[in-house]
Amino acid sequence: MSKESKTLEKEAQAPAKVKQPWTAKRVLDKILDNALLILMAIAVVLIAIKNPNFIKARSIINILSQTCAYLPVALGVGGCIVLTGTDLSAGRIVGLSACVSASLLQAVDAASKMWPNITPPPVLLVLLLAMVIGAAIGAFNGFFVAKFKLHPFIVTLGTQLIIYTVLLLYVKGGNNGGMAISTLDASYSNFITGSFLKIAKTPIPNYVWISLILTAVMWFIWNKTTFGKNMFALGANEEAARVSGVNVFATTIMVFALAGAMYSVTGFIEGARVGSNTANTGFNYELDGIAACVIGGVSFVGGIGKIRGVIIGVLMLRLIFVGLNMVGINQDLFYLIKGGIILFACALDMRKYLVKK
Amino acid sequence: MKKTFAMLLAAVMMLGLLAGCGTEDKPAPDANGDQEVQEPAASELNVGVFYYNFSDPYITTVRTAMDAKLKEAGITPNNQDAQTNQATQLDQINTAIVNGADLLIVNIVETSSPDAAKQVVEAAKAADIPVIFFNREVSDEVINSYDKCAFVGTDAPEAGHMQGEMIGDFLLENYEATDLNGDGTISYVMFKGQEGNNEAEYRTQYAVEDANKKLTEAGKPELKFYDENNSSKYLVDTNGSWSAQAATDYMTTILAGYTEANGNMVELVIANNDGMAEGAIAALQQAGYNTGDEGVTSIPVYGVDAMDSALQKIEKGQMTGTVKQDGPAMAATIMALTNNVAEGADIMANTTSFNVKDGVNKIMVPYAKMS
Repeated sequence: MSKESKTLEKEAQAPAKVKQPWTAKRVLDKILDNALLILMAIAVVLIAIKNPNFIKARSIINILSQTCAYLPVALGVGGCIVLTGTDLSAGRIVGLSACVSASLLQAVDAASKMWPNITPPPVLLVLLLAMVIGAAIGAFNGFFVAKFKLHPFIVTLGTQLIIYTVLLLYVKGGNNGGMAISTLDASYSNFITGSFLKIAKTPIPNYVWISLILTAVMWFIWNKTTFGKNMFALGANEEAARVSGVNVFATTIMVFALAGAMYSVTGFIEGARVGSNTANTGFNYELDGIAACVIGGVSFVGGIGKIRGVIIGVLMLRLIFVGLNMVGINQDLFYLIKGGIILFACALDMRKYLVKK
Repeated sequence: MKKTFAMLLAAVMMLGLLAGCGTEDKPAPDANGDQEVQEPAASELNVGVFYYNFSDPYITTVRTAMDAKLKEAGITPNNQDAQTNQATQLDQINTAIVNGADLLIVNIVETSSPDAAKQVVEAAKAADIPVIFFNREVSDEVINSYDKCAFVGTDAPEAGHMQGEMIGDFLLENYEATDLNGDGTISYVMFKGQEGNNEAEYRTQYAVEDANKKLTEAGKPELKFYDENNSSKYLVDTNGSWSAQAATDYMTTILAGYTEANGNMVELVIANNDGMAEGAIAALQQAGYNTGDEGVTSIPVYGVDAMDSALQKIEKGQMTGTVKQDGPAMAATIMALTNNVAEGADIMANTTSFNVKDGVNKIMVPYAKMS
């Protein structure tokens, strides 16, 4: 499947390089290729006409910050999708890292402090710890995928449940007894939701920068490192990659470990952004992450995807959420629109490869 | 060889995970503080406890209290998680009956129609096992259809009424301070935990209705939902999980368009539970409100449950009020009924000290206003 589609993709790309006359068909193709961006622009204009607040600085910063909170999950799961896989454990890893981070960084005077003997350690240390936990679970996923050739869907379907147990037991741990973990230390809340830069009198929360830095790092990893190139080669055609000397085992584990570390960053952000963490935190985040990747053109056929696409995907989902809210459309329609866009985006995506058949 | 090693490694990792959990599972402190020793007569009892969702923080506090109480009585409960799925719960209950359960303690999932509870009662009746429903209310008709059936919980509308009364009283005392834009009406937002859940419906309805009643009696205009386009007059967690995260996302979105500078700031936040209230507070704090510091504007925020963290927020001036839903008291009441079953007495024996509803085996654990 992936071998075939890769060649198809090459065939599809090849003619684009040759200069072609602007025929009606080509214009239509161009429009279809960028249909999502065009739709997004139309939607923004329509919403802005209905509610001018939508394009004011505060609103734009709100959309941006919500996008940044959810972005790391999508960036992580994107790598798994490039390997023709997926990762269903993302949401629970978010939940676990949020609860662990929040419990370690609870204020000293918090009522029923989970671990009463712990004075809040340095924030960065906890972030690191969360990422290590996430990466370890990710590596565990990757190990099963690489070693036993199990589809990631099955592996992560399993680990997702295992993590949920750990999470349920964790929130009952210490003095917490299952309550929401909140009343966080100021160092943690300031690190995440504080702000050192204001635009148009609106503070930009710090986690936006964390997320942007991560995006840059991920772009570098995907595009400029041997590991990234190996990942795409492996996703496009495993046999070919193996023959040309890619260490399939190590690459797979690393992709999943990296993904796990990314989920933990979202968990770490959510821990302080939402400020009330339960076993429910992170629930369903993987689905939004996967949906964002798919909308952004990270293809399930493997070996295809861009960081740019992932960002567009997450942004698109947030635009729908915020936009529908601002125009006061019945929320029941939210799923219809989201589902429609996923189908539409994937159909558009596949069209590029089917066109030559 | 290599493969066996890998298998072994995997097994060890799994064990490590489980062992890690084990150490966290410390006995929870008895939330009620009473250490009365129960008679060990109940120890032979095979008790199945069916929770609608393990991840609900309030239900988990009940579960922690229940586990401690049952353990005191020498009973090892068979706890089950329905994960908000009624079909799963029915399967779990039927399995427990087959497994020889002596008592079913059920936190029913589906509250919007009596059919699910009816099925549970019929299955229990057929096997002649007593059933105690708790927390999520079951209709009188279902409870009355079986003499070994009882309900322990709260009167669902009461929390909404109390929330509404608290809001009304607070507003009448602080009307000018709350009305930030000085237009004479208070604009509010309501965060609903779930669609089709009795308690969510009642709380959403009565919190506003009762507050309005107080306001109109005092000659003030009714509360106004912040967004006129929204005809439902609430924002609901679309996952149905009463989550703080849903409230945070909504609240940051609201604060992007509704500000003091625009003269349309939301002046009152009402949430179905403390989690959502805390989520809204997180968003408000990001926008510079509700920090509890001197000179910082606080938008009144109301929740339900009275979790420790919410009470602390109230103390610090970041939150305004909540309604206490007493988990440990509920667990203690269930335990009294469990002891009746263990002793072979009538399920409602010796319950005169509790708040029993007339004509039906229902014990209501009272709510309390906290502000």
